[in-house]
Amino acid sequence: MATHETSEATDAAASVPLEVRIGFAHASAQRVADRCGADVLHVKGAALDPDLVPGRSYSDADVLVRPRHLQVLMDELQTCGWELINTFAFGSSFEHSATLRHKDFGLLDLHRVFPGAGPTAATAFETLWAEHTTTVLGGVDCAVPSRHAQVALLLLHAARGGSDPKAAHDVQSVWTSADDEQRAQALDWVDRLDADLAFSVITGTLDDHRDHPAYDLWRVAARGGTRLEEWRARVRAAQGLRAKLAVAGRAVLVNVEHLTLVRGRPVTRREVAAEFFARPARGLREQVAGRRHSVPSERR
Amino acid sequence: MSAAYVPGPDVGVTVSPDGSTVYLAHLPEGPLLVLDGVAALVWVEATTAPAAGWLERVAATVSRSAGDIAADVDTFVRDLRARRLLEETGGEDLDG
Repeated sequence: MATHETSEATDAAASVPLEVRIGFAHASAQRVADRCGADVLHVKGAALDPDLVPGRSYSDADVLVRPRHLQVLMDELQTCGWELINTFAFGSSFEHSATLRHKDFGLLDLHRVFPGAGPTAATAFETLWAEHTTTVLGGVDCAVPSRHAQVALLLLHAARGGSDPKAAHDVQSVWTSADDEQRAQALDWVDRLDADLAFSVITGTLDDHRDHPAYDLWRVAARGGTRLEEWRARVRAAQGLRAKLAVAGRAVLVNVEHLTLVRGRPVTRREVAAEFFARPARGLREQVAGRRHSVPSERR
Repeated sequence: MSAAYVPGPDVGVTVSPDGSTVYLAHLPEGPLLVLDGVAALVWVEATTAPAAGWLERVAATVSRSAGDIAADVDTFVRDLRARRLLEETGGEDLDG
């Protein structure tokens, strides 16, 4: 009879199911938030109401933080064994989350905004927070959005899932097969979260929003696009000249954090240089291929 | 009606669906610890109400007498308490 510390025994760590580790990741994040006075909501994954999409898989813990509490939470997490491995700017085209890793609990996606929800990150969080409830994850009470709000968030997440079968299954489970009452509840939250643009992907009416600054961002997320199209969309969606220039500048920088994660070791200067020169070339090749592919349709 | 012990204040607990494994984590920093088999059984019974007779419940499950297993269980529980994984509730402990 004995306890086995996974930190000391690699075999024991490997034997801990992923969903258990992720549950503890949520619990750890909640305890850190409590310690520093930050408001957080646990979203998707293990935090999702299990009746919404039974058997839905997940690979990390997603946590949305009240925007004004972001920095204090980020600082506190890093004093508690969480290592920042990807910052917001290089996380996704929506620049919505940073990724942290813990040696025992795995990956944590810290969201400063939930893509599609607004009108601002702060008001969206407050709207969700106003009706939050709790669920037990890793033995700790964790704050989660209300059940109907979770449906809306799942649909907004699926809206940028492209052709991902998991996203399609989510839509089927909580929207396509939903009854009128359930749809009305979801639409109420879409309205409350000012999420018409993102939700139009689900209803197939995205093109009605061509004039919206973030239209291209959602079009590329939902339908795919080249690397250049993605960066153009990010620049268009950025608000203000300074933000647009910042995004444009990042388009040609190399994401050293991502390279390190992908290769599992610190990258060398030679690798960074190689990636720097490879990215514009890759974007160019994709753009050329896209143009070649699109020429016949343009002529029609 | 309370259990003999409760998890420490900074301990997260997840029990496998079949109850054969207990996962413990010191929160928020870690580490993560695993209790298997009889160790898991002792944890579950020690933290399940009622406190009275919890050692006997363990003994019955492993088809031994309480007297046969008391010393080993006591050593194990002391280890858990030393690691701040378990705390007494004031209910029945091994001596009670």
